[in-house]
Amino acid sequence: MKWEVHEGEHGVVTLVLSLKMQVSISDEPETLYKRLSLLVKGHDKAVLDSYEYFAVLAAKELGISVEKVHKPPKKIERLTLLKSVHIYKKHRVQYEMRTHYMCLELKYLTSSTAAVYLEYVQRNLPEGVAMEVKKTKIEKIPEHIQEPVWDTLPQVEETEVKS
Amino acid sequence: IVIHCSYTGISIHAPPRTEKMAVDQDWSSVYPTAAAFKPASVPLPIRMGYPVKRGVPPPKEGNLELIKIPNFLHLTPPAIKKHCAALKDFCTEWPSALDSDEKCEQHFPIEIETVDYVSAGTSIRNPKARVVTLRVKLSNLNLDDHAKKKLIKLVGDRYCKDTDMLTITTDRCPLRRQNYDYSIHLLTVLYHESWKTEMWESEKTEEDMEEYIWENSCSQKNALDTLLRIKASENVSNVTEEELLASEVVKNYRNSVIALKNEGETENNVSQYKESVKKLLNIQALP
Repeated sequence: MKWEVHEGEHGVVTLVLSLKMQVSISDEPETLYKRLSLLVKGHDKAVLDSYEYFAVLAAKELGISVEKVHKPPKKIERLTLLKSVHIYKKHRVQYEMRTHYMCLELKYLTSSTAAVYLEYVQRNLPEGVAMEVKKTKIEKIPEHIQEPVWDTLPQVEETEVKS
Repeated sequence: IVIHCSYTGISIHAPPRTEKMAVDQDWSSVYPTAAAFKPASVPLPIRMGYPVKRGVPPPKEGNLELIKIPNFLHLTPPAIKKHCAALKDFCTEWPSALDSDEKCEQHFPIEIETVDYVSAGTSIRNPKARVVTLRVKLSNLNLDDHAKKKLIKLVGDRYCKDTDMLTITTDRCPLRRQNYDYSIHLLTVLYHESWKTEMWESEKTEEDMEEYIWENSCSQKNALDTLLRIKASENVSNVTEEELLASEVVKNYRNSVIALKNEGETENNVSQYKESVKKLLNIQALP
């Protein structure tokens, strides 16, 4: 963190506090994600289209392979309410809520790449848009399942079960 | 900037910033972060809204529709490229040896699926986020024949025969890490229990068997019976059961019956059965 001189337009000179992010490397092994599936839901299709362009470009720039981008069909939830406060049952008003979906599937990410991409993409989520992230992590078989444990345990005498 | 004279009531507005913007300016300094739409800062002639009768949509000055909708002015392609160039240092490479699904499966057979939810609201928590799904192919586990059959019986619906995949879904604990530990614990217990052989397992009857075994079945008894009686009626010297069992026709018959029972009735299987029965009973004449 230090102060830097920044020359703006029309000869305006400002002092800017610059934060250069520090990269730290730790020794623990990375968890691997075979697939990352982002499902984005929103009320406005145009907003989702712009967001799709942004997410796909960000993935390409960070070197993440995009498996497929598809748009599941929209779901409309409708409700019918009485128009008036007191009587007039025959006069109603109908509302509907449209939810558009956009699904982005990414392949083969390490945990740090996934953390960076997800944080970037989630910080820039527009207002009124929700996201579900499905992560598929791949792991080796743990040591206690490699061999059945009965072979290594000492022989225990069988006790009579009293009925 | 507005110069307002409260005596005369005259206001002089300065021209909007868009007039002074160069065509090749740095747009990411105009909109560095997400901000509302400012008509005086965006040099585009945008119109938005429902058009007046026999007219055009309203202009951008004082247009509430443009302010309400989320805009992506801070995420233009050059801005995204700048952000990604700065973030690239924090990303790590995927190991190049694992470039296909099969190799991933061979080295890392277990798949854990978790879901995160992001939405706007009063609380960031979502109770569905604690569900953990563990998937593993049984061919990757160290199981022998009896252990595999016992595991499939123990697990019931969670095993899919077509893809040979065991799926364990846990959500009984309140935290995701607890659910993950519980699913690994379940897998460990299932594995070790299936290697154990209990005393009551010796009482397994023919109805419990998963696949048809021809040895010691009524089909074998009937076939041997019939053949022995044929041989006795022809007065051939006593042929032992082992010789009959080892003969080609009986082997053929055995294979066709096993195929019929295990795989169901297909054209191939039924015609194979017909051929083997004809050979067994020596009735070649019939069509």
